[in-house]
Amino acid sequence: MSEIVQSEPFVMNIGPQHPSTHGVFRVKATVDGERIIDAEMVIGYLHRSMEKLAEERTYTQNIPFTDRTDYLSSMSNNLGYCLAVEKLADIEVPERGQAIRVIMAELQRVASHCMGAGAFANDTGAWQTPIMWFMREREKILDIFEMTSGARLTCNYMRIGGVAFDLPESFEEEVRAFIPAMRQTIDDGEGLLSGNEIFIARARNVAVVPHEMAINASLSGPMLRGSGVAWDIRKADPYCGYEQYDFEIPIGYQGDAYDRFIIRIEEMRQSLKIVEQALDGLPGGPHSTEVPLALRPPAGEAYARIESPRGELGYYLVSDEGPSPYRFHIRPPSLINLTVLREMTVGGSIADAIVALGSIDIVVGEIDR
Amino acid sequence: MATKWWSGAELAAAAERLVPGSVARTSETACALKPESALQTFRALRDDPETDFVHLTNLCAADYWDHFEVVYHLQSLERNQIACAKVEAWEREEPVVPSVVDIWQGAWIQESEAYDLFGIGFEGHPNLTRILLWEGYPGHPLRKDFLAMPGGLQPGLNEFAGTSAKPEPPVHPVQ
Repeated sequence: MSEIVQSEPFVMNIGPQHPSTHGVFRVKATVDGERIIDAEMVIGYLHRSMEKLAEERTYTQNIPFTDRTDYLSSMSNNLGYCLAVEKLADIEVPERGQAIRVIMAELQRVASHCMGAGAFANDTGAWQTPIMWFMREREKILDIFEMTSGARLTCNYMRIGGVAFDLPESFEEEVRAFIPAMRQTIDDGEGLLSGNEIFIARARNVAVVPHEMAINASLSGPMLRGSGVAWDIRKADPYCGYEQYDFEIPIGYQGDAYDRFIIRIEEMRQSLKIVEQALDGLPGGPHSTEVPLALRPPAGEAYARIESPRGELGYYLVSDEGPSPYRFHIRPPSLINLTVLREMTVGGSIADAIVALGSIDIVVGEIDR
Repeated sequence: MATKWWSGAELAAAAERLVPGSVARTSETACALKPESALQTFRALRDDPETDFVHLTNLCAADYWDHFEVVYHLQSLERNQIACAKVEAWEREEPVVPSVVDIWQGAWIQESEAYDLFGIGFEGHPNLTRILLWEGYPGHPLRKDFLAMPGGLQPGLNEFAGTSAKPEPPVHPVQ
C-alpha cells in the first residue's frame, strides 16, 4: 500500500438518458479519480423553438405552448404568459378570476415541489419511499386539475382576461379534503428525511452557492432563497392579489442542497395556507372578462414575471399591433439556475454532482423550450 | 410594497448622471445605451447605491429587420426596482455587442442563447458557442428572415390576414 496511486483526467458523460438527470440533459464531467475537475452542460435535446413558433400564432393560441415548456407546472406557465399579455393590452382580470388563478398556481406549486423534493430524496439515496408518498398526494392535485380543466398535466386553463371555465361544484369540497392529507404527507416526508443522518450527510454542505454568487448569477426561486436572499416575487411585486394573503417566505442560511430541500418542503406548507385563505375569501362574480379572440394589443413591449415553483418565470412580449406577438421570449428559471452548475459540482464527487443537479430541480422542457 | 418599474426616462437620467453621454435613445419603457460605453454604464449602474442593479433578471434579443436589440432587465433586490436597458446593433450580417458576463455572471447562458438563435456576437464572452442547436446549424432561427417564404408571404397566419390565394409551399433554402 505504500505505492502512490496515480490518476489522470478522464471525461465522463452523465446523461443524456439517465434517471438522475431528470430529463434529456447531459453533463460532460471531467473527472480525476472520483473528483470532478470540470463540468460542462450539454442541452438542446428537447429544443422545439417555441419562441419562433409563437410568432406565427395568435396570442390565445400561444397559451397551450406555455403548458409544454415546464410540463410539471403548466398552470404557473399559463399564468405568467397571460399576465404578460394583459400587461401589454392593459386588460383587467375580475377578482374571482384572480383568486382562482392563485388557488391553481399554489396547488401547482405543491404538485411541483412534491416532484422536486421527492426526486431529490431519490437522488440522495432515500430510494422510492418519499417520492411515492409525495406522488400519491400529487395525483390528487392532478385529479383536481382534471376536474377543473379537463387535463392533468397540460391544463391550458388560464385565459387572457381570466380563466377558461368557472370552478366545478365539488371543487371546494375536494380541495378542503385534500389539504389535511397533504399536510400529513409533508410532515411524514420531512420527518423521514430532515433529521435522517444519511440524508444530512449526503445533502449538508454539498453544492454550496454563496450569497454573493447567487445574486450575481441571476438565480431565482428556491436556489436564491436557499443562499439566504429573502426574495420572492409574490411578496416583492405582488400579482393576482397576493398582497391579501398571509404567508411567509422560508429562506436558507448555508446555501447548500439541504437548505433548498427544506425550503421546498416549507413552501408547500405556505402554499396550502394560501389556498385555504383564497377558498375562504373566494369572491363571486365573473371568472373572466371578454377579450377578442384575435387580440391585437397596441404596439409596445411588456415584461411580466411570476414566482413559479422553480423561480422567476418571465415573459417578454413585443407587439406590432398584429394578431400574433412580434417577439415572444420566455425567461426560463431552470436554465438560468444552471449558470452555477460548474461552481456547484467542481471539487466534489460524481455522487455529489447528482445531488447538486437534483437540488436545482430542473425541468428540461423549460430549459430547451 | 410593489416593485418600482422604472420608465425609460428615469433610467436614462440615472445613466447620464453616472456616465455622461451614454444614452443613445429613450422610449417609454426602455433606454438604449451606446454600445461603446455600455460596459462602463452597466458597471456604474450595478455599483451605484441609488441604482443598485445587482441582479440581471432577464437578457434577450429581438430582431427589427434594420437592427437588433439586446434587452436587459436589471433589478435591485434591496431597493426593489427594475429597469429595462437596451443595446442596439445596427449591423445585419455580424452584429456585435459587448458581453456583460464580467459584470453579471448570470448573463453567461443567456448571451449564449442569443448568439445561438440570433447570431449576435458578444465581445468578451468567455465561451461563446451554440447552446441549443448544434455547431454548423444553418442560420439563426429567431431572425425574421430565417426561412422567409417566396413572394414576401409570412408562414402561419395567412388565413387571418385575409389572403384568398393559397400560399405556395415554403421553399427551404438548400445548403
